[in-house]
Amino acid sequence: MESEVDGILVAAHELKAPLTVLRQLALSFDEMDSTNERIRSEMVNVSDRAIKQVNDLIKIRRLEDGLFEMEPVAVRAVCDDVTRELNHLFIFNKRDLFIKYSNRSKLVTANKDLLHSIIYNFLLNAMHYSGENTRAELIVKESNDKVRVVIRDYGPALPMDVWREIKRGWINKPTSIAMRPGSSGLGLYIASKFSRFMHAEVGAIRHRDGTSFFVNLPISRQASLFK
Amino acid sequence: MIFIIDDNKIMALCIEKATGRPVKIFTNAIEAMDAITAGTTPDLIFLDILLDGPDGFTFLNELVSYSDTAKIPIVIVSSLNFEGKYLTNYGVVGVLNKDTMLPKDIKRYAEEYAGH
Repeated sequence: MESEVDGILVAAHELKAPLTVLRQLALSFDEMDSTNERIRSEMVNVSDRAIKQVNDLIKIRRLEDGLFEMEPVAVRAVCDDVTRELNHLFIFNKRDLFIKYSNRSKLVTANKDLLHSIIYNFLLNAMHYSGENTRAELIVKESNDKVRVVIRDYGPALPMDVWREIKRGWINKPTSIAMRPGSSGLGLYIASKFSRFMHAEVGAIRHRDGTSFFVNLPISRQASLFK
Repeated sequence: MIFIIDDNKIMALCIEKATGRPVKIFTNAIEAMDAITAGTTPDLIFLDILLDGPDGFTFLNELVSYSDTAKIPIVIVSSLNFEGKYLTNYGVVGVLNKDTMLPKDIKRYAEEYAGH
């Protein structure tokens, strides 16, 4: 397993250099008319997303080195950052994004960087699998001693075998999700790895008209002492 | 004069364009050190860390060991994620992350350290 992860790490590093060059090339063009500016902007955005996924793969290896500290994290602020980053993509693809925050406890115990990646991957998937002119939902709520971040899409239902694997606790490796064309399962794999590291729980709920992915995060007890 | 040391020539050209100033591009640290030894002292160096041959940190050590080169301002341009504050004693005035940097970030350092 370790050599497999090392192989992913080498591939990730190899991919990263050309992606950063492509991004920089797109940024290097001089002023353009609005049509070309839009194309340039999309080139940068696509490169940014690819670099982010490559960085997530590199982070998986670094989990073992203990480089990610757990701390009180403002979950709404992380959600706001992610939605701000992905907002243009929702508009570009004609999807709506519905956001609802109903959690009272603001702080959870997590690593901000890893939590950002989990929510980013789930929301990107939701955008991808929701049909045109439909919506994806980001809901943050609270139950008992946990804050749950739910990302709901209105795409194809999650296959039973993948749902079982998620229910069992975690995803062993990226697995193509047959009923979700174009999916490599990479986002789910990354989310599973990161949540496991943070002692958070990733899960999925099957709907007749889509899927909800969620992550349960422990409320920060350290911060609650100051209430 | 600005030096750019990066083993990726296309990335070096992008940095050159962003500076809007005359530059010398080197694809490894040895060539850059040779140019300095031959008498060209740059006003500013954009330095990649992962290079063919001696890496960027080795180059920084070499520069700081000579009195005439110890104060050359260096901007590290790398995909590695680290903080420049630990490297100020090596003349590092800034760190740009290749994943997120913009041409205006490069230009700002060029204007500040290599004249208008």
